[in-house]
Amino acid sequence: MQAHPSYPALAHVLPKYPRAAGSLFQAYNDIVLVQEWTDVKVLDLEGISRAAITGKKPKTDATSYVVPCSLAETLSFGWLTTAFTLLSDPPEIFLAITSDDASIVYYKLSRGIVKPQV
Amino acid sequence: MASTEASVPRLHLRVANKKAYVWDVEDIATIRTKHRLCGVFTGTLPHMSQQNLFLGVPMVLLPEEVVLLVENELAVLVDDPNAHIQPSVPELQRWNAKEKELAQLRLAQLNAAIASLPAVLSEEAMQKRKERELKRQAAAAKAAEAAAEGSIFAPPENAPPPPPPPEPQYTVVIPASSISFEWYNDSACHYTTIQSAKEAGIWEYPSNLHERAKCGVFRGLWEQGMYMGGGIKFGGDYLVYPGDPLRYHAHFSATVLESPTFSLTPMEIVAHGRLGTVTKKSHLLCGWDDEKKEVSYLSIEWAGFG
Repeated sequence: MQAHPSYPALAHVLPKYPRAAGSLFQAYNDIVLVQEWTDVKVLDLEGISRAAITGKKPKTDATSYVVPCSLAETLSFGWLTTAFTLLSDPPEIFLAITSDDASIVYYKLSRGIVKPQV
Repeated sequence: MASTEASVPRLHLRVANKKAYVWDVEDIATIRTKHRLCGVFTGTLPHMSQQNLFLGVPMVLLPEEVVLLVENELAVLVDDPNAHIQPSVPELQRWNAKEKELAQLRLAQLNAAIASLPAVLSEEAMQKRKERELKRQAAAAKAAEAAAEGSIFAPPENAPPPPPPPEPQYTVVIPASSISFEWYNDSACHYTTIQSAKEAGIWEYPSNLHERAKCGVFRGLWEQGMYMGGGIKFGGDYLVYPGDPLRYHAHFSATVLESPTFSLTPMEIVAHGRLGTVTKKSHLLCGWDDEKKEVSYLSIEWAGFG
């Protein structure tokens, strides 16, 4: 992992949260290399023992937030609202769910009752 | 029963076996249009009780709906079995006489209607019918002759007189609601609060944290102007409509999480989110905080990438 070109950007959080390191590493690589987001930064969220990723989707100017987690974890409603609070309450966050076989899926979580897009 | 709002009488929800039923069509209309609650029709047709495509009264309410109506002082719970009193003989006689009178009236109307119908049989049919009648008469005469010739089936000389002809049969219509009966009196078995109904042993909901959470979430969504239906078809606790379900598609399916620490797996988020996206709905996670008595919501949708 240390030899990977992405490692330097994550070096300050990977050893700090070993349980979340795998999903963060995988989500970070996917966001940067596959989704091609720009201005990608890593934010330390101590309250939920992991780091989040922020950046801009291609051809957009708004900052988006990605919180990685593993499929094997157990979350709770309170955990999700804490994630919103620690990121200073953006209208929506993306939950990146990673699995052992390196597949990843993103779900958009919005605060409150938000109508589906038509 | 002194109501706080004397001008609007509270609806009577008739409780039997810890379920609340509404038998009055006017009440059902009020619940739907004024109180924005849908309930579920459960009544089938008496002669086709297996069919369940077209259901009618009684309407059974979700327990959350009942709790909301009673807490908002819009309805009272009625202990229905105890509101039925043992009828006295004169009461039953009066009821019987009235039914008979009605049956006669109905028969008279039916006969009048038949008499006013134009003759529909053709000439040919009339002829055939006459022939059939003649044949039957001939057969009857033959049988009588045989009997007269000392058959062992001939009635003995000292046979008892035949019984009097039975009274004409008629249909008794059992009314959907019992309130018209003289032996129904619910004035002594009203419960205006959930607590008093629980103490009387006719009602239980909500009895634990999960049920309290469901009541709290139901109220929270209802207060936002939503209509709720059962969520089984989309794997949630409720389907949430932005208006009357006859006019709107559901925008959300909702699941109730009974506390902020109640476990939620990422796989559930994927399953709910994916199903919602396919069916053009968002999934609502409704988190209940039993200490603050508050609901908060998170909407899930597929991100559209990855």
